[in-house]
Parts: sequence; structure tokens; C-alpha cells
Amino acid sequence: MPRTHSTEFSRHHVLTWIELGLLAAALILPLFLSDFWVLFSTRVLILGIMALSFDLVWGYAGILSFGQALFFGMAGYCTALLATKVEITSVFVLLPVAALVGLVVAFLVAAIVIMGKRPTSFAFVALGTLTGSYVVERLARGWSYVGGQNGIPSLPRLTAAGYEISEGPVFYYMTLALLVLVYVGLRLLVRSQFGLVLAGIRQQERRIAFFGYRTQNYKGIVFSLAGLIAGLSGGLYAFHEGFVGPGQLGPVLSTQVVLYALFGGVGTLVGPILGTGLVELLSFHLSQFWDTGWPVILGLMLLVIVMFQPTGLIGFFVSDRERVGSFGRPSQQGRPTPHSKEPERVVP
Amino acid sequence: MSAIPFVFDVLAYSAIFVLVVLGLGVIASMMGIFNFAHGEFVLLGAYTVYTLAQQGIPVWIGILAAPLAVAIVGLILERFVIRRFYAAPIVAMLGTYAIALALREGVRMLLGGQFYNVVAPLVGSYSIADVSISKWRTAVIFITALIMLGCYLLLTRTSFGLQVRASLENPTLARASGISTGRVYAATFAFGAALAGLAGGLMVPIYSLNADMGVPFLIKSFLAVMLGGMGSFEGSIVGAAFVGATSAALPWAIKPVVADMLVFLIAIAIVKFRPEGLLSTWRK
Amino acid sequence: MQNDYKQKLQSYSRRLFMQRAGLLSGMVALGGGSYLLSPKGTWAADPIKVGIATDLTGPISWGGIPNANVAKMVIEDMNASGGLLGRPVLMVLEDTATNEQLAVTRVRKLVTQDKVDVVFGGITSSMRNAIKDTIVNRGHTLYIYPQLYEGLECTRYLYCTGPTPAQQCDTFIPWLIKNGGKKFYLPSADYVWPHTLNKYARKVIEASGGEVVGEEYFPVDYNEYSATVNKIMSNGVNVVFNTTIPPGVAAFFKQLYEAGFSKKGGRLACVYYDENALNITPAHEIEGLASCLDYFKAINDPYGNKVQEEYNKLYGTKNPLTAGSAATGMWRGLNLWAESVKAANSVKREEVAAALEKAKLSEGLGGGCEVVPGTWHVKMHMYTAVAKNGKYEIVEKSKGMVDPKECLKA
Repeated sequence: MPRTHSTEFSRHHVLTWIELGLLAAALILPLFLSDFWVLFSTRVLILGIMALSFDLVWGYAGILSFGQALFFGMAGYCTALLATKVEITSVFVLLPVAALVGLVVAFLVAAIVIMGKRPTSFAFVALGTLTGSYVVERLARGWSYVGGQNGIPSLPRLTAAGYEISEGPVFYYMTLALLVLVYVGLRLLVRSQFGLVLAGIRQQERRIAFFGYRTQNYKGIVFSLAGLIAGLSGGLYAFHEGFVGPGQLGPVLSTQVVLYALFGGVGTLVGPILGTGLVELLSFHLSQFWDTGWPVILGLMLLVIVMFQPTGLIGFFVSDRERVGSFGRPSQQGRPTPHSKEPERVVP
Repeated sequence: MSAIPFVFDVLAYSAIFVLVVLGLGVIASMMGIFNFAHGEFVLLGAYTVYTLAQQGIPVWIGILAAPLAVAIVGLILERFVIRRFYAAPIVAMLGTYAIALALREGVRMLLGGQFYNVVAPLVGSYSIADVSISKWRTAVIFITALIMLGCYLLLTRTSFGLQVRASLENPTLARASGISTGRVYAATFAFGAALAGLAGGLMVPIYSLNADMGVPFLIKSFLAVMLGGMGSFEGSIVGAAFVGATSAALPWAIKPVVADMLVFLIAIAIVKFRPEGLLSTWRK
Repeated sequence: MQNDYKQKLQSYSRRLFMQRAGLLSGMVALGGGSYLLSPKGTWAADPIKVGIATDLTGPISWGGIPNANVAKMVIEDMNASGGLLGRPVLMVLEDTATNEQLAVTRVRKLVTQDKVDVVFGGITSSMRNAIKDTIVNRGHTLYIYPQLYEGLECTRYLYCTGPTPAQQCDTFIPWLIKNGGKKFYLPSADYVWPHTLNKYARKVIEASGGEVVGEEYFPVDYNEYSATVNKIMSNGVNVVFNTTIPPGVAAFFKQLYEAGFSKKGGRLACVYYDENALNITPAHEIEGLASCLDYFKAINDPYGNKVQEEYNKLYGTKNPLTAGSAATGMWRGLNLWAESVKAANSVKREEVAAALEKAKLSEGLGGGCEVVPGTWHVKMHMYTAVAKNGKYEIVEKSKGMVDPKECLKA
């Protein structure tokens, strides 16, 4: 078989340089930033983890999920309830619980929306997840046990062996560590054989199914995994911000995460994190600039990005070839890899 | 005796809902794009009626003007923005979301975030057996029925209608048959927008004007389109009728907060078990 | 001497700018940072910083905009008469965007970055709950919440300057029974404020000899009320004590009107309905609607009229100064706080709070007011008004100030 791609091309490794650069910057950031900006950055990192969860399902498996906030919010609510009603605040209990809640809820949603005898259309998945997010938000708004519209305010801080983890550099580095952990885990996953199947599902699900892969199960696994990641970030968010509210469950946040990922560049893992930071900074500075009109400007800017640079900001620096990437170990790099920008529309 | 208000309730709400869904369904079927800005088209229709009424122009003229105004906006958007998304319908969802954000917040600024009312062209009610029925809401039911009839005639009796139906049912084949899908798409998008604008204009004397009035319709409309089945005009009507009727009818039997959520869950369940929708003739 | 002052101000602005620009080269602030109402003229001392966090965008912007306007007006007036303690007052405005997730970051900025001496703001209870921890606990800053609400907020250093259920029901409900009837129906929006208000209202209704025929809850954007209207008409309800809110309220009032409720002598009551809300539905549909608030333009007293005139000159009439939007609570809160700062001769939280406990205003929008010590709530005059031809007419004033009855130690 002729070698259509050689290892020489991938030696450019722009993506890896970007990743390392960002990591280095993230490590030293708190030393230079004022208190407020450390808090801002921590929040960006937490939302970045959620953006990663979206990138996993959409960028790598082709599942358009408009409901990541559902897992994020539910994990937040469950940990908040544990902290306020049962008075458990240990980070070693709450964060795993958050991840577990995300996993379980995602699995349940996947069971309805993705898995089943017949493969579901991508529109159904998108709408199903959107509806799930919307319905649960309304439920939370109306349920007084979880605080209704007010949510659960004044959450205690997370503790580790008696020591309170307050927002600031400590929380920042904890979040960064978790982010790096998740990131590396995903990086390994998507470049593995499993990742190759996912890429195939994203491109041409039917063909992969014909090879004998149970695509529904793969999608279900990935979706649940993404739910776990979103749940983890939900738990972190609740305790960093100090409250949970129905807004953390709903379609507004779900769609916001999609925009973060798109802005930065889906399918690259580092893109969504970059996108989160940039969109948050942009919203912040726009509102300083025009206090009543900034949402209009934000909408227009997002529109411009979506129209003219759908591969996101990463697309400016990273070639498409590298964006999609190669799989498996170096000895298998002769295999041709998919090379188009958008997946084909799956027949509903 | 409460059968009369119940039936009227269901019809009145479904009528408006059908108009909104029809526009969305036609766009979704033909171009595969779920237009997240559809609620804002409804808003623009309502806004047109209000602005004209402020200038002293009678509300019924405003209601005639609303679909035209929104159709023009639709055409402009289609030409400069939506057209780029045909090859990537997923990106279209996000692009239209961004448009929706810009439109909604823009109107909010113009309104100062306030709620404003518009007086209906027909004020008051008439009685049927001791029950008061709103005159204007009755008028809306009749107007919607007429519009649907008109659309039906347009689609079945004109050659343009034939082109639209062909593109709806089988876009690839239509293109292959030489139908100028570019123009048909533009006209269809404008048409869908116009229907939404009309719904907004008819709605604003009943519910007041405010920047968020289109938002509650969005998800329900998407579900209605999927439920009815993409690819046909009748599908959208059936889906809208089903979702609309359920939304209006359930609260008579159970608590409104619960009924609200149940509608969504029922719709999802139906689409899950019958993915093609209730009436589907779509062939890719 | 002039130059000295000018230099001091310039050096202050420069320091502020440097703070904002941050030390990280990548983070370049656009312009001078958030909306700063910079005090005009030259001053000898550092400014006192007041943080205003309100919904300038999003569904509650109709309330946030007048709040911000009133704050600007009051602060500019303060500066025009020499500032506070000889120091200028600097207002830092942040948009909470009716989005609690976003709001926390904005409020954090006020408290951690701008290091404001006090925060005024929040309109909905959900917003207050989202930001209060960041301000009061984590930020160690005084927080003043200006909106009418359901009560039950008993947090140290969190003062509520808007009407509570007791203030809105104690004088209002007896008036309704006298001018409407004994049978009440409570159609409500399904969230905390109506639930809690209804609980209190029910107590007062039954204590005053009335009867609650029904209590129903709807999602806020609910539009089909015929079932409810039916029940109201067939049960001979005299007073509809409404707590549905926009957007649903427009449809409800219309459907109620069309069923002939007010024609048959029914009384519509709604405690958040101010002059602004009169725009939501056509005037004929709400003819005779009664409301009970801490201020109406219709009071027509010289003090109120002067404030309105100044407000309208500065900001026009699109977002008027009314009681339902928390603007009156904002006005009240700012003035009570200013009085307390003067009395304590300091802006430190503990000292201002101690002074706030005894603060009172002898005159103001809707009359004077007084903080009830140990409860963090404010006694104020309440007015009952009825809508006639699209305008309000005052029909009853409370005899003296009404007790908020919140956070009472049993």
C-alpha cells in the first residue's frame, strides 16, 4: 500500500507546541495575576473541562449533544445537596460523586437518545439532549426541595483532611491538575484504536457498522464518559462559585459550551479550552465596553466566526491534516486517515 | 359546559403554534437546517405590528405588513448568512443561534427591556351558552385556517409549489432534475420567516410584546417538526397540531407545571419509537 | 493649589488604570475598565467606591436599567454636594445580565478587584441568592438588596430595603376585603416569591374574615388560563390576588377580562404592579386593578415630584422610576447607607452596619423610612392605589410606617 502520509509531515506538531505552551502558561499564571483574575482563570479552567466533554462527543464521535449542562448541573446539585443536607464536604468524596452522577445520568440519557435497536438520527440526538436539558431545568426551577429558582446558595467550601480549599491559587492548581489528567486521558483515548473507531463513526457510521462494530455501544460509552467529565466539572464549579442554580442545568449553558468548543476549534482537545478562555474574556471586556449592548456584539462576533472560520481559532494555526490527526502507534502511520472538515449528514 | 372553552382553548393555541411550526418545518425539511432564530422571526413580526401601531397605523394593517417585513429580513439573512451553511447544517444551528442572540438582544435594547401591549383589531368577546369567547382569538383561528388553505393551494396548484414540494421531498433528486434550488431555497426561507412573522403579528394582541416572546416556542417547535415528520408540509401541520393540542389540553387535567414537562417527554418518546415521524415522506 | 488637586486625581486614575491593566501583558483592558462614574472636579482624597450589580441585559433589564439610572443620579447628587466624608463617591457598575452564572464573576470583580466598600443590587431572589455569598461571606462586604421580595433573608450585613410580604399585605388585604369581597383566588407563578407571599397572604385573609377559594401555580410563560378563569367565574370569587408575572400575566388578565370578571364587580389585585406594568396590557383590561407599594408617582408630593423631574430630565421616560423595579428600594438604600456612613464617619463594614441599625430618613420617595434594628429590614410607608383609565389613583395611605416583620427573634 503506498504511504500517502509520512511521519515527516506530522513532525510539525504545531498542536503539541500549543498544548505545551498553554500548559506552561497555565502553571505560572497565578504568580502574575491579581486575585480576581486567578478566580476568573479557575472558572475558565472548570468550564474548559466541560468544553472538553463536549469536544469528546462532538469532535471525536460526531454526536451533537446540546445537553452537556444537564450532567454538569446534576452533579453540581447532587454534591451541593450532600454538602448542605448531609454535611459532607470532603473533596475526596464529592468530586468522585460528581463524576459518578455525570456518568450515570449520561448513561441514562444515552440509553434513550442514542442506543436502541435502530440508530438514531443526529437531529434526534441534538434535540433529545436539548430537550433533556430544558425539561430538567424547568423541573429544578419548580422543585422547592432543591431550592426552586433560587437553587442552593451559600455552599460550604470543599475540604481535604480538614483543610478548607478556598478559591484562589489552591483551587486553581487543583483544577489545573484535574484538567491535565482529563486531557491526557482523552488524548490517549482518541489516538488509540478506540479513537480510530470513533473517527470512523464520526465520518461514516454506516460503513463502520458494516464492519461489524456495534456503533451504538461505542457512542453510548463515549457519551457516558463525556458525562463523567462534565459531572466532574459541575462539582468543581458549584463549590468554586458557592451556589448551584437551575441555570447550571439548562440549554443556555449547554449551548454556551458548544460555542466555546466551536470558537476554539472542535476535534482538537486544546481548541475548546482556548475557546472557553477567549469567549469568557470577550464577554467580560465587551460588557465593560458597552454595558447594555454587549450581547448583540457577542452574537455578531460568534456569527462571524461560525460563518468564516468554522474550524475555530485553532484552524488559524494548525493544518487540517494535523487537526484530524493520526491514530495508533507510529508503526501504523501509513494508514490513510479521514480528511474532510465536516461529517456528512446522517440520514434521519 | 366546560367543553366549549376547552375545545376553543385547544384550537386557539394550536392555530398560532401551527403557523410557527409550519415555517420552521418547511425550512428544516428542505435545507436540513433547524433555524434557532425562528422564535426571533416571530418576535420581529410582533415588533413590526407594535412599531407601526405607535405611528398610528391600524393594527390590522400592521398584521398584514408583518409577514412582508420579516420575509425581507429572511431574504437578507438567507442571502448573506444562511446560504453558507447548506453544506454544514450543524454549523447552521450554531450560526442561527448567534443570529437569534443578536436579534433578541437588539430588540431588547430598542424596547428598553419593557413589555408593551397592542390592542387587538377586534376587541371584546361574544357569548356561547354563558361562556365568553374572545373575538380576536376566534379570528386568529379562521385566519390560520385560511392561510393553511392558501399554502395548500400554492403548493399543489402552482408550478412553483411543485418545485418546492419536490425540493422538500427529495432535495438531491430535485437538484438533479434541474430545479434552481438556490432560488427555491431563498424563497422557502423567506416564506418560512413570513409565516413566523405573521404568527407574531397575530399573537401580539393576545400576549404582550417583549424581547423573549419567541423563546418558549423554539424547542416545542423543533419537537413538533420531528414528530410530524420532515419532508412534507402536512407533516409539520400534524406535528404542530399534536404538540399544540397536547400543550393546551393536558393542563385541564393535571397541574400546569407537570403538564408542561409531560408534553416534551411524550414528544421525545414518540419520536424515539417512530423516528420518521407520524407522517414521513422524506427521502434523502 | 488647583494643580495639586488635579495631580492627585490624575495619579489616582493612573493607579486605577494600572491595576486594571493588570500585570500580565496579554491581558490588556479595553478602555478604562468597567463603567466608572468618575467624580467630576478635583478632590483631596481617595474616592469611596460603590458597587452596583444589576441586570442591564436579559429578561429583567426593564428593572435593572432604572436601578442603574437611580444610582447614578443619587451618586452624582452626592458628589455635587461635596461627596461623602469629604471624599468623592465612585460608582462601579456591573451587568449581572439576568444570568446567575455570569453574575458571580461580575460581582467578584466588584469585591475582589475593584474592592468596593458596598454592593447594591440584585433584583430577583435567585440573583440575590447567587451573589450574596460572594459579597457577604467570601468578600466581607456590605450588601444592600433593594427589591420587594418574599422575606426570609436574615443574613448579617445583608440589608433589604424593599417591601416584604407583611408590608404588602397587612394594610392591603383588609382594604381588598372592604372594597372587593371575602372570596379570594390566588393565581400564581411557580417560584419562591408567590409561594411565600401566598402563605402570608392567606394568614391575613383568614384573620380578616376572608376565604381562599383556590390557589394555583403556573410556569411563568404559561398562556392558557381558561380553566382557571372558569373556576374563578363559577365560584363567585370577589378578589383575584394575582402573582403571575410577565409574560404569562398579560394573557391571564386578558382572559379574565374577557370572561367579564371586572364587569361583574370583581376586584383584581397585584402587589408588584407599578406604573410601568400598566403598559403590559391595554388599560381597559386592568380597570380597577389595585396594588400596594412603597411609592407611586400618583402620590404627587413635592419631594417625589422633584426626584421624578430630575430623573426624567436625565433619563427620559422609557425606563421610568417606579417601585416595582427596585428603583425606589435602590434610592432608599443608597440614602440610608450614606446617612450611616456620615454617622459612623467611616466606610468600614462593621461600623457602617452598626450605624445602619439606627438609620432613618425623615423624607424620601414615598415618605420617610427607618431601619428596624436587629432585623436588617426597613419600615416604610405603604400606599394602596387603583388603576383608572391607565393611570393610578391613591386610595389609601398607611397610618405611619408599616413594619416589615422579618427576622424577628422569637
